Amino acid sequence: MRPAAPLELAVPLVGIVVVIGVYVVAVLDQAISELVGGGTLRWRRVAFDPLRSAAHLVTQQRRTTERPDTPGWILAPALLSALAALALAMVPLGPTTVAADPETGFVVFSAAIAFVMIAVYLHGWSPNSLFALHGAYRFGAQALSLQIPFLLAMLATTLPAESLSIVDIVQAQESLWNVVRQPLGLPLYLVVGVGASFWGPMNLPDAADLAGGTGVEDSGVARLLWKSARSAMLVAVAAMGATGFLGGWWGPWLPGAVWVILKTLVLLVVLIAAGHLFARVRVEAFVVVAWALLIPLALLNIFVSGAVLL
Amino acid sequence: MLLGPLGVALAVFIAALMAVLLVERAGEPAAHGAPSPTERVPFAGVLPPQVHAWSRYHARYYVMALVFLVFDMEMVYMYPWAVVFLREGGIAMVEMAMFIAILLLGVLYAWRERSLEWS
Amino acid sequence: MVLRRLLTRLAAGAPVPVLPVAGLGMRDALRELRIRPELRPVDVPAAASVLVAAGSLPEEFGDPLALLHDGMPHPRAVVWWNPGNSAGPLLRRFADPTVVDGSADELVSAVVRVRRELYSGHRPSSEPVLAETGRAPWEGVGPYGQGGSGMTGGVPYGRPLAEVAPDRDGLRLDVVPLTVGPFFPQFPPGLRLEATFSGDVVVDCLPLVNPFVDIAHHALPVRPGLDVFFRALFEPVPIAELELARARDHLVWLADALSAHGLPALGVRALRLTHELEGTAAVPGVRRLSRAIEWSQVLRWSTRGVGRFDAAGRTSLGGCGPVARAAGLPDDARMEDATYRALGFELIVQDGADAAARWRQRLAEVVQSLALAKRAGAQRSEVTGQVESPRGLLTAGSAPASRLLPLLPGLLEGLEWGDAVATIVSLDIDLEEAGLAERLASAQAGAT
Repeated sequence: MRPAAPLELAVPLVGIVVVIGVYVVAVLDQAISELVGGGTLRWRRVAFDPLRSAAHLVTQQRRTTERPDTPGWILAPALLSALAALALAMVPLGPTTVAADPETGFVVFSAAIAFVMIAVYLHGWSPNSLFALHGAYRFGAQALSLQIPFLLAMLATTLPAESLSIVDIVQAQESLWNVVRQPLGLPLYLVVGVGASFWGPMNLPDAADLAGGTGVEDSGVARLLWKSARSAMLVAVAAMGATGFLGGWWGPWLPGAVWVILKTLVLLVVLIAAGHLFARVRVEAFVVVAWALLIPLALLNIFVSGAVLL
Repeated sequence: MLLGPLGVALAVFIAALMAVLLVERAGEPAAHGAPSPTERVPFAGVLPPQVHAWSRYHARYYVMALVFLVFDMEMVYMYPWAVVFLREGGIAMVEMAMFIAILLLGVLYAWRERSLEWS
Repeated sequence: MVLRRLLTRLAAGAPVPVLPVAGLGMRDALRELRIRPELRPVDVPAAASVLVAAGSLPEEFGDPLALLHDGMPHPRAVVWWNPGNSAGPLLRRFADPTVVDGSADELVSAVVRVRRELYSGHRPSSEPVLAETGRAPWEGVGPYGQGGSGMTGGVPYGRPLAEVAPDRDGLRLDVVPLTVGPFFPQFPPGLRLEATFSGDVVVDCLPLVNPFVDIAHHALPVRPGLDVFFRALFEPVPIAELELARARDHLVWLADALSAHGLPALGVRALRLTHELEGTAAVPGVRRLSRAIEWSQVLRWSTRGVGRFDAAGRTSLGGCGPVARAAGLPDDARMEDATYRALGFELIVQDGADAAARWRQRLAEVVQSLALAKRAGAQRSEVTGQVESPRGLLTAGSAPASRLLPLLPGLLEGLEWGDAVATIVSLDIDLEEAGLAERLASAQAGAT
């Protein structure tokens, strides 16, 4: 049996990482939004406003609609957060420092990403509100189109490792990071990662033109938890990108865990900046692009890197 | 308790689920009483909606979903292929390339038949 | 309890989420609130704490406004900014509205104060406005309302379920009728659209009558951005003032359009630019913004091919300003003004007639207007009786919005909803301008 962290350590640690990650995403989001908007960056505001807004939301009443599906509505942000926690539990901080490293860790991570569609659909269906339903169905199209490119983009990282375990994938990058070995991999992964965590340009389910989409009826704690769950998912995607493509814990001078955190932060900044600098895609055009462009690119990536390895 | 890695992963999942559910229950101040009927109207462009949103929604991408099923089955085959790829060498690549090429023909057909668009 | 007090203390410093509702004359002022760090304008009532209504609203918006108010979660409050003297009946529907007559700074401090009072308990949360409507009870036979006649055997919560209709791909699925109301966040204020959805595609739509036409007959405030154009109908106005107002209006439109496409930070940058239009940093700032917009691909994947006028539609675009010029029509009232021609005014047209062309047209016109304003010095316009407003040909009695509204059904049918919103945003329909123009015509007819 492969090693795994003791339960009393793993669960709280992952929880702390999720909470801190959500706060970091909120801070980065506000800072980058201020910079892009041409305003002055006030550090006190940027650091404390997310906490204040969270406190405000917690003290606000939680609304309901006429005939919602209440269990589903309550479950949706919980499911999304749990999936993000599951994905983060797969990320190793060192060769033996990982919450869980099953032999098929890659498959567990992909399954976590796949279930995001269920969480978002539940969130859109439950309030029994038309624009929320539009968002849910839009995300159905988006998620279905993104599954295959996502899996293919990450599959290329398992080729040099000859294993589906995340720790093995990072071990195989000791000599050369995957971002250099497979140059097409990281940009592709970032695109599909943004789509899988429906952030920024791929924010189709919670879009502004749907008046907030699946979150249109959310207020109070429900709104806070949905937003936190989305941020946690973004952190998970960034962390796995740092692990699979940027070499995980490998790096000189600093301990491995610090490297993982630094690389995750770099990817987070890239993803959040992309959210503020790119316009939202149209769902039909995006479906066509995902099938006709992203899948062939990902396949090309796999076959070229496979040929190079042989 | 000594669980295998999958067990720990599952435990993390369930613990996170429970934690968020607890926070949701805890954050429900009942100070304002039950909402009145007009406070429960779903937002539908400001005026109240005429029908309930739950309906037989016309999800127009059903053809794309069928194509997705095919590719999902192909992904199932690619997982073990990726693991043994280096061991098996060039033969593995050629075999998978043939498999993928046949499936890509299907995607090409779907694209030309405009089944990936729907408006 | 201690935790609750701690949380309310912390929450008191957060930016107040406000739901802005723009009435006559206050659209631009409300947009400016996005720059304020103390406020955070939101789109839907569920996210807001304070309803900030501004200007005067027609009577028929009383119920939608009340629904917006009731849709906000507790604790909530209402603040009305510059209500004028015709907002009385609407104001009286609320239990305890705060009225602010003054500048934006006063509004911001009032909103912050109101929120603080709400949280400290000094102000009770605003009670629901609409009375309990006589909603039909759940009819049916069984314990869950099932059985009986009809699809589900009843009318759950007094609202029917959707009916089927045939569709072009042969399936008979539900179509959902919806009136997208006067304060839909991405629509121009006052636009009501009766749409029927099949899935997320608009099957047909019908814009309802412009509500600002029948406002009561007092002297209503014209918003500052429009004021100079209405004055130009009667007397020569400095061209620099006209062109700066045009550039400012286009930039405010740009801020809204960027938010609709998921780029709120760039939208705030456009709003900040409106303050610096007279300086030397204006044109480089606008060029930087244009570059950022090109990079954001909003002109490529968000708007290209969206809302394209076909050849038949293009012929009905006369007098529609940037929309017409983006479709290739050389239509601009400024060509008939000798002073403009002397300043070297050249018509800019695009081809494409889609939303991306309209974006490009307005961006080009901003740069052109700034250049014209600099060259104009103190010269005044010559022609009165008609003026080229930022949206098209404006005369007493007719405005571009009334020409664009009839074109909407043909344009929006068959579009997916996101594309429909992008199209409406790119058309820049201003119902307030149209209402004021018609009132001007009836005032002139009444005077003679």
